[in-house]
Amino acid sequence: MDMDAGIEQHLAAGRHARAFDLVVPAYKDRVFRLAFSILKDRAAAEDATQETLVRVWKALPGFDGRAALGTWIYAITRNTCLMELRRRRPTVSFDDPDSTEAQHAATSVATGPADDPERDNLLRLLETLPRNQQEAVRLFYLEDRSYDAVAVELGMPLGTVKNLLHRARKRLMELARPNEVKAA
Amino acid sequence: MNDPTLIGPCADFEHDLVELHDGDLPPERARAVRLHVEHCARCRDWARAFASLDAELAVALPRVELSTDFEARLQDRLAAVSRPAARGNQVGTLELEHEHDALLATLRRGARRRALLGAIGSAAVAVCVFIAARDLLRDMSGMLVTVPGGTEPWMVFGVAGVAVAIAGLAWSVVRDGLPLTG
Repeated sequence: MDMDAGIEQHLAAGRHARAFDLVVPAYKDRVFRLAFSILKDRAAAEDATQETLVRVWKALPGFDGRAALGTWIYAITRNTCLMELRRRRPTVSFDDPDSTEAQHAATSVATGPADDPERDNLLRLLETLPRNQQEAVRLFYLEDRSYDAVAVELGMPLGTVKNLLHRARKRLMELARPNEVKAA
Repeated sequence: MNDPTLIGPCADFEHDLVELHDGDLPPERARAVRLHVEHCARCRDWARAFASLDAELAVALPRVELSTDFEARLQDRLAAVSRPAARGNQVGTLELEHEHDALLATLRRGARRRALLGAIGSAAVAVCVFIAARDLLRDMSGMLVTVPGGTEPWMVFGVAGVAVAIAGLAWSVVRDGLPLTG
């Protein structure tokens, strides 16, 4: 990204405040969408976005360029969100991305009309998927179906993201369209 | 050809149908898949159902936007963090920093422990190899420097030296390779 090059130039020159002034508009929306895909709650995602940017502001002078700036910022975002999930539910495992949260489906916040049973059913089916698949699907649609954006924000290779999304959407097809899927 | 008792896409085309829908297939492959779909009712029906599900997901998971006062609140928060604050205001920031420092300290302790165990293990393996090969080395003793008391003291020094070198190497590799960012 050209914006990243500009930010890194300011960092290299010691102009950390100026670099951060460029980081906020460049990354706030993507950080927010990533946080929302993990936390599934708009208010919590905004708080996590604020928290992430404060951490970035503090750590920016020490950024050494070993990772790409975006990769670094999204890693901070994921850590911030996982800490929030852990604070809400101490049993959430950082090391088990396949853990399901079906039993917590009731905590997800509806973001649309309350009387749309098909939409609610689809969201309920989505929440039966493993956590990493849920996050990938949410982020995929939040990022206008961009595989590249999802790969960068989740910190995964592109091929891994495609496989993850394929497994998730295939599973949703089996659940939501059982008459269209091959019989067992 | 198509087995009328089966439903769902052809196994060879299932992944391609998704990528075709997402516009992610190379042109040559996209042409081949479209040709197949024209002649395969199962794949055609599945692709139609998938497109419908995809559209529903896009509506059910709408884009979300930050609130309009987000940046103003962020600036307020940064000002509070950077201001010389009263003790009470610092509590939240200090807790955050302690949590972060604790996480880094745990990672460092774990890495040091692993490096130390690795160095000890390496030294132990080196000693065991030399002890096990002692008979072989005795046979080769004519090639070794002899001193009063036999060659074994020099073997011990040699083994100890190799073990220390391996331990030092393991320590420095792990210490220099610690990625602690964020």
